[in-house]
Amino acid sequence: MSLEGYLVVGLALFCLGLYAVIAQRNLIAVLIGVELMMNAASLNIMAFNRFSVTDPSTGQVFVLIIIGLAAAEVAIFLSIILNLYRLRRAIDVEQLTGLKG
Amino acid sequence: MDTLTLALATTFAPFAAFAVALLFLAGQPRAAQAVVLTGGAVSLVGALALLAAGPVEPLRFLWFASGAVELRFGFWLDGLSLMFGTAVALVTLCVMVYSVGYMGADPGRTRYFALLGLFEWSMLSFVYAVDLLQSFIFWELVGLSSFFLIGFWYERPAARDAATKAFVMTRIGDVGLFIGLLMILHVAGGFDLPALLDPQSGMVRTAAPLLLTIISLLIFAGIAGKSAQLPLHTWLPDAMEGPTPVSALLHSATMVAAGVFLMARLHPLFMAADYAPAVILAVSALTALVAATMAMVESDIKRVLAYSSISQLGFMLMGLAAGSLFAGVFHLVTHALFKSLLFLCSGLFIHHCGTNDMEGIGRGGGRRLRFATVGLAAGGAALAGVPPLSGFFSKEEIFASLGQGAGGVVATAAYSAAFAAALLTAYYTFRMIFLVTRPARIEEAGGHEHHEGRAEPWIMAAPVALLTLGSVIAGFWGREIAAGLGVASAPHGLAAMAPALAVVALGVLWAWLDFGRAGAPRTGSIRRVPALQTLFARQWYVDALYRAVLVRLTLLAARILHAFEVKGLDLNFERFGFGILGAGTGSTRLQTGWVQFYGGWAVVLVGLAAAWLGIR
Repeated sequence: MSLEGYLVVGLALFCLGLYAVIAQRNLIAVLIGVELMMNAASLNIMAFNRFSVTDPSTGQVFVLIIIGLAAAEVAIFLSIILNLYRLRRAIDVEQLTGLKG
Repeated sequence: MDTLTLALATTFAPFAAFAVALLFLAGQPRAAQAVVLTGGAVSLVGALALLAAGPVEPLRFLWFASGAVELRFGFWLDGLSLMFGTAVALVTLCVMVYSVGYMGADPGRTRYFALLGLFEWSMLSFVYAVDLLQSFIFWELVGLSSFFLIGFWYERPAARDAATKAFVMTRIGDVGLFIGLLMILHVAGGFDLPALLDPQSGMVRTAAPLLLTIISLLIFAGIAGKSAQLPLHTWLPDAMEGPTPVSALLHSATMVAAGVFLMARLHPLFMAADYAPAVILAVSALTALVAATMAMVESDIKRVLAYSSISQLGFMLMGLAAGSLFAGVFHLVTHALFKSLLFLCSGLFIHHCGTNDMEGIGRGGGRRLRFATVGLAAGGAALAGVPPLSGFFSKEEIFASLGQGAGGVVATAAYSAAFAAALLTAYYTFRMIFLVTRPARIEEAGGHEHHEGRAEPWIMAAPVALLTLGSVIAGFWGREIAAGLGVASAPHGLAAMAPALAVVALGVLWAWLDFGRAGAPRTGSIRRVPALQTLFARQWYVDALYRAVLVRLTLLAARILHAFEVKGLDLNFERFGFGILGAGTGSTRLQTGWVQFYGGWAVVLVGLAAAWLGIR
């Protein structure tokens, strides 16, 4: 397989994630979209690491950090969503417009 | 105590009283009265001590220097300022004491007495000033304090209007005065009075006569405003809206006297100018005559006195313009005494009878007030020029100076006008006296009986008595005043006095026939000529003309400017403001509070940026 194949898959994943972040109304779905985008980024990094970098450990360090970050981020995101639900009884972004000018 | 300390104490005592009363004694009118009276008394004692010590060299200290111009303020204690300063302090103290009774329990007493202090400080500092700019500053302060005092009862629209009118009309003249001062600065390079007036080296000798004429006439514009000469005289009768003691002060020793004093101060300057004396002579003679005709038909006692002030100021300026410093100053001093006396008496009458109308005062039993009646008779006779009271001597001196003056049409006309005005003065003064003291009947209103006892409390009667004495004897100080001015004065013989005597006798006789004798018509013979009666009663339509033309023009200009402001300026500013407001309101719509809206736009914009970079 060539580099382009990996990049096309990464792009598709990123676009799906972006679509979910922008178009989904449920905050959980938005969170899933964010995770998808992160994974697309990780995939791209690994692909570049495989085809164009001499030292294979460079990309692996990046990706491991991203996976760790994503785990922490999910924990924080979910706790925020839980608290929002407790306060507002809603996790729909269209109902959470308290900062409207 | 050295002279400088004494002079400072004399001038600043009333100012200190003013400041203390206004700052610390707002709620304690009795204490304020006491403080201001003390200040006035200190001033009088100081002025008397300065007078007793006699003239000294001018005292100066540097105020500031700007380039070659050095302004040195200080005191010029020569015969003129010492004498007039004493008169100012005396009359002011009398008025202050009288005011304690007159103002009674008026809620604004603290302000009133504080302002009297301010007034006295301004006037005394003006009189003693050594520098022309210093004079000008205090000249304006005198105008300011009279503005406050005329408008003392500011709740009354008439008082407010009168105060504004006095301020604005004197200001019109002051424009001329200020231009004159600037010209003096330009020509002489300084304002030091003794240096300006020095007969050897001063500008009176070095400057061209035409220039001096222009400067003199400009300064005379200020004098005409202050001393209520034609055509700027109309503020003075209206100034009667102030409390009566204020009128007494305003019309005798301060305010209006400031104009005459300035002319006396700058007398050498006026005399060195070519045509100025003739112009001033014409204006003041006309004023003296015209104002006297107005007084003939007036029924309000205070307004009669106001017109007579205008007329007498005309006399003083005539004397000065005819070349006799002594005649003008002598009449200024005697007039200060008897005119303040007359006003204080009229205040007693008005207090007692509750009316300004002379018939009403007569009917209301005004003549039961002994001090006031004696004062009215003495002051009135002095005003009319009955010998041997003070007014006779000073007015006779003016006639003499007019008679000695060089010939020419103006001098002759002024000489005759002075006699006519003196005749009318005697007529209207005795009309006033007869109307008040010889009423057809006295209404025995029960209401007056109970306050008969305190109609003339001692605190009001004492100043009246003192000024009565002054009005009677001041005429015999002529030689001392002349000596103080450094002018020789020879007593005039009976032959020289005869015309003045005849004129007075004629005027008194006329008034007797019209108002005094039993069965007199009591209407004034001028009523047989209705056209003249109307002309005089309407004050020659000068005020009406001002109202019809000047006031209306001013209002028109104000209206146009107002429209320009509202439609031209305000509207555009409003539009600008509304534009900003609209932009703000519009941009708040961008903040939806909806996260995905922001996210979507971020993607779109980043995409556009990326595309642009890609195209490049």
